[in-house]
Amino acid sequence: MSPHATALTPPLSRTAGEGASRPLRFITCGSVDDGKSTLIGRLLYDSKALMVDQLDALSKARGAQSQSGKLDLSLVTDGLEAEREQGITIDVAYRYFATPKRKFIIADAPGHEQYTRNMVTGASKSDVAVLLIDVIKLDFTQPTLTLLPQTKRHAALAGLLGLQHTVLAVNKMDAIDFDAAKFARVVTAFGELAASLGIHAFTAIPMSALDGDGVVAHTERTSWFQGPALLPHLESLQLSEARDNTTAHIAVQWVTRDQSDDHQRWITGDLAESTLSVGDAVSVFPSGATAVVAALRTGRGLVDCAKPGEAVAVRFDRQVDIARGDWIIAGNADARVLTQKTQAIIAWLDNAPLTVGRRYVVRHGARWLPARISAISSRLDLANGQWRDTDAGLDDSLPAEVNANDLVRVEIEFAQALPLAAFAKSAALGAFVMVDPGTNATAAAGMIQ
Amino acid sequence: MTARDAFLSAPTITENSVTIDHLNWLEDEAISILREVFGGFERPAILCSFGKDSLVVLHLAMKAAAPGKLPLPLVHVDTGHNFPEVISFRDQFVKKHGVPLVIGHLDDSIAKGTIRLAHPLESRNPHQTITLLETIEANRFDALVGGARRDEEKARAKERVFSHRDSFGQWQPRAQRPELWNLYNTRIAQGEHFRVFPISNWTELDVWNYIARENIELPSIYYTHQRQVIERAGLLVPVTDITPPRAGETVVTRDVRFRTVGDISCTCPVASTAANADDVIAETIAATASERGATRMDDRANDAAMERRKKEGYF
Repeated sequence: MSPHATALTPPLSRTAGEGASRPLRFITCGSVDDGKSTLIGRLLYDSKALMVDQLDALSKARGAQSQSGKLDLSLVTDGLEAEREQGITIDVAYRYFATPKRKFIIADAPGHEQYTRNMVTGASKSDVAVLLIDVIKLDFTQPTLTLLPQTKRHAALAGLLGLQHTVLAVNKMDAIDFDAAKFARVVTAFGELAASLGIHAFTAIPMSALDGDGVVAHTERTSWFQGPALLPHLESLQLSEARDNTTAHIAVQWVTRDQSDDHQRWITGDLAESTLSVGDAVSVFPSGATAVVAALRTGRGLVDCAKPGEAVAVRFDRQVDIARGDWIIAGNADARVLTQKTQAIIAWLDNAPLTVGRRYVVRHGARWLPARISAISSRLDLANGQWRDTDAGLDDSLPAEVNANDLVRVEIEFAQALPLAAFAKSAALGAFVMVDPGTNATAAAGMIQ
Repeated sequence: MTARDAFLSAPTITENSVTIDHLNWLEDEAISILREVFGGFERPAILCSFGKDSLVVLHLAMKAAAPGKLPLPLVHVDTGHNFPEVISFRDQFVKKHGVPLVIGHLDDSIAKGTIRLAHPLESRNPHQTITLLETIEANRFDALVGGARRDEEKARAKERVFSHRDSFGQWQPRAQRPELWNLYNTRIAQGEHFRVFPISNWTELDVWNYIARENIELPSIYYTHQRQVIERAGLLVPVTDITPPRAGETVVTRDVRFRTVGDISCTCPVASTAANADDVIAETIAATASERGATRMDDRANDAAMERRKKEGYF
């Protein structure tokens, strides 16, 4: 049966509850020939997100027909001219499709090693990581199945960036006759890796993106598999903006004045981690001033309570010294813990290597300030997904320099004490970006430990 | 059965899957991006064609500023080949909302000699870039907000929300800054600027649903009207002074609407009886031709046309 006949799952009854229908953003991680582009092409094709003229452009493109006469769906996602010529994806591309149940945003990130920075970019804006495994590249004759280094790298990044869900797409199952035992071995190997990388749960799905098995629906060939196909699984995932045991925070973006006669000040920014209500007490960083929320606005107008993830404007009950770059923190000032020097993991992105001790500029929330890396304590060894102590290069198997695509644990010192939190606890307070002050290049993505 | 036939015979989405929560999420993301512009730049502006996407951006910008007033001017690049309905809409809009408008005239660039047309009726669309960059330089704008969406076209699918332009206004697709969380790197050197796209993640259907939900007013040519057209190479080409019929072509009157509003010489309507946003949504769900493919002559030239123009500084 043609997989297209089952192109769309019938609309299921919408589950009630907060955020049930908010778009799901996922990143696909895999290398050039893992079938990642084919998988995305398949999802767009089967959900009819491709239009006729796009399909025609595809048919016209050189090499579009594969030898078997099937349309090469991987060409759908290759956006840039040079890429089409080289046949590799070199940058993050965003794709959109919708089913009757949900809207999806795909960050199509390249899997090739030197482009890890793009995967970090895509993953930082994703809820779900879909990691592709190409079973053809695995050696099933060995007693212990070894996953590819890039799978370890992708899993490590997905774990570090704290994506809410992980899906293991075990692709090209057609090449190993949809062997359930081999699939089980992949799942076991990945399970061990995931546990060591802080990925607490994942869903593995056997599939053939080329033929369509396991993407929109399972076929006879995957009938032994009890779990969901990829698309119904993504449709059903629950997302949450709120984190446990955190208080509401707003990184102040901009302050405006009411156009009405009273010219009251309204402070704007994104509400993070928890709800905020009219009547709540808040404190302001860095002034330490306290106030009570007198009025709240979202895009929908005045509200009594705003939800995490909403873009809000806040009016206080009193005049407070506050500007872009400051923080509004729920609760009273005594609850604030300010930190100047801390441990963090950074993903180095710039082509110029990290210089220890150099002043970089860092963005935390909406605040820019100088900071420096004072020490490097360990680095992620991507061959096995393990952190290894660096001790100033005593371990000669690893280079001392921190280059693009390296992941290292560091000590970072900010020019002033900040309201920091571990990234795993608060993405808003725990994430920062390092910029080279000379070139303005984005040098690193940082996560407080 | 060819792959194309299989595709066309596959079931179609018949239900409008866009829900309120989904639109709120997109609205919040756009408002947040706009406030980055309001708070993070010295001389920002909103680039506005007064087409539906830029009018959605303007609506969002007014929400992002509320209850304060819009803190930045609008910029319109006037090719001199405009639909009169759009220009009168523009003038009424700025009057009604009291927002400052900066107009860059393509005719001024021609008079100065910075644009030279090959022939008088040539499409002015590709030349807009020069006038736009001259307007940016003259006003020292450091951020220009635009209504581009990533679903429109392949090259746009890769563009950042905060897209850096060098001092010649060029986009460097290979040297794009990684964009992490909502921690945008908005730092620039003298003479450089950013193009900022708050509705990057919206699709055409999202835009129309939002127009319907928010009752956003659009120029009349977005809805059905009778117009003289010529059927040429699968497109309906509007009959105007700039696009007259060629020898042997037949002029017919059709019920049409425009899906995009660009330079008159390269924007074509589609046959439609959609009289309001809800009708357009119904048509959009059923559409099998993507927006730019059906209506823009300039992009059909070749697959990489948009990428080339973007590198030169087009928006």
